[in-house]
Amino acid sequence: MRPILSIATTTVGEAIRRRVLLIILLIGLLFMFVAPGLGVLSARSETTVLRGMMLGIIQLTSAVIAIVLTVYMIPNEIERRTIYTILSKPVQRWQFLLGKYLGAVLALGLMMALMSVVLIVVFILQPGGTRDFALIADLLKAPAMYFVQMSLLAAVAIFFSTFVAPLVNFFLAGGMFLLGSLFNPFFQTLQENPNTPAGAKLFAGLVNTILPNFANYNVQNPIINPTQVIQNEGRYYIEVTMYGVIYIGILLVIGILVFDRREV
Amino acid sequence: MAAAIETKQLTKSYKSRVAGKINVVDNLDLHVEEGEIFGFLGPNGAGKTTTIKMLLGIIYPSSGEGYVLGKEIGDMEVHKIISYLPERPYYYEHMTGPEILRFYGSLFGISDEAKFQGLLEKVNLHRDTTKTIAQYSKGMQQRIGLAQSLINDPRLLFLDEPTGGLDPIAHREIRDLILGFRDEGRTVFISSHELSEVELICDRVAIIDKGVIGRQGKLTELLKGGRIEITVGGVEESLLKGLNLLDTNIRTIPTGFLLDVPEEQDPNSVIDAVRAKGGKIVSVVPRKKRLEDLFVETVTNKPAIGVPS
Repeated sequence: MRPILSIATTTVGEAIRRRVLLIILLIGLLFMFVAPGLGVLSARSETTVLRGMMLGIIQLTSAVIAIVLTVYMIPNEIERRTIYTILSKPVQRWQFLLGKYLGAVLALGLMMALMSVVLIVVFILQPGGTRDFALIADLLKAPAMYFVQMSLLAAVAIFFSTFVAPLVNFFLAGGMFLLGSLFNPFFQTLQENPNTPAGAKLFAGLVNTILPNFANYNVQNPIINPTQVIQNEGRYYIEVTMYGVIYIGILLVIGILVFDRREV
Repeated sequence: MAAAIETKQLTKSYKSRVAGKINVVDNLDLHVEEGEIFGFLGPNGAGKTTTIKMLLGIIYPSSGEGYVLGKEIGDMEVHKIISYLPERPYYYEHMTGPEILRFYGSLFGISDEAKFQGLLEKVNLHRDTTKTIAQYSKGMQQRIGLAQSLINDPRLLFLDEPTGGLDPIAHREIRDLILGFRDEGRTVFISSHELSEVELICDRVAIIDKGVIGRQGKLTELLKGGRIEITVGGVEESLLKGLNLLDTNIRTIPTGFLLDVPEEQDPNSVIDAVRAKGGKIVSVVPRKKRLEDLFVETVTNKPAIGVPS
């Protein structure tokens, strides 16, 4: 356990100093600060638009950070030869990969926590800002779910990084995120529709199972529009979190098996 | 003496679309004894680093056997008593020297601050504890690399080009540290093409080229066969050729003749014979066989210039 934690901690230290990640984070934070000024451009309620925009910025920024952070993680270690000094110590490859992944998730968590703090600050300080902590807590459900979503995305990217080049990984992981966010609900509907032909149903079911369902974590709609509700909210959050954890576990196990056989 | 490293027909091959199967390391039989400094030499791409990576279990052999300190390569138990310093190593740049040692120490479960301080003193970095790796010179980075490689008090150290790209002062510092390792009873396996360094510190060497070992043995034995160059003047070539000079080579040079006398032959007999014919001895220069000559001979399969064999 100790090597895993050491590798994870070092990974966090590296990640929070990477300029490219800090620039992405700063751009995200900048957009969050100017977002209240953009609400006037919409005919809808300013608060609704602001919530939607702020959560959208957090999600997009986190997704870009998750991908950029993880696609280079293993290749960089090989290129700089740090992996050799680590693997020549009594460290197994699975410990190394797991440490890197946990470090990435921790770094991601720190950056997302910072964005969440900004989210709260902006909501409190905006003209007519709220002090209603129940409302703020409700607002934070979305970043919490995004964190699980981004941990899943990081696992996808780490998995691919065990056998593809960073650039390919960037498009693969990014593509999976887009497909899993946009098309999973479509395939789910196709699978559940009684009028769908059996072959199409099977295909939809297969895609639904293999493709990580990132759409599960897009819980912003009920938060933005309080008229929309998730039935049995607590259970839903637990279920999708469990789904994410299991999926991450599967990806890491396969990634470890691939990495274990890889020549570095 | 027990073997620190033993390989039997260790082979690493890759498949290439153009060239088919390529043996990067080909049937390598290596024997390194405990307590010695062993030089593993070869030109770029000879298979040195691939061999080290196989011995460390970082890449897997295609065939053959390998043992490190009596255990099969890849055995995690061995990783507790060996260490590795790669060529041009990179350390996490935001860390300071003590942080680097804490990190690598934690991989062994070592958190002894006094030990870390001792290691920093050993590599003369104890006054730079607040500098980050990004602020270190190349020589300092190499020294912190050596310090991290000593954290677990290893019995066997693998050093890949430990002096590559360093200035003469840093060269000397690293060389002294490596000699100190032998005095402490450690085995040091150095991969390098800094031949003058290797010649100064190694007990035994192996020369590898295109994945195949060309020479292997004690440096003192491998470097036997030096020559003595005697320059003579004031004598006709026909007279010199008439002398019984055994294995001596005679070459014409602008100032006279150059006689290459094998080290085993008594040069005085040659000098006396030349003088007896009225020849004048211009100079007598002993030419010790150097590692560079042996290396060139092995790699090119031709005798090195200056030392005909």
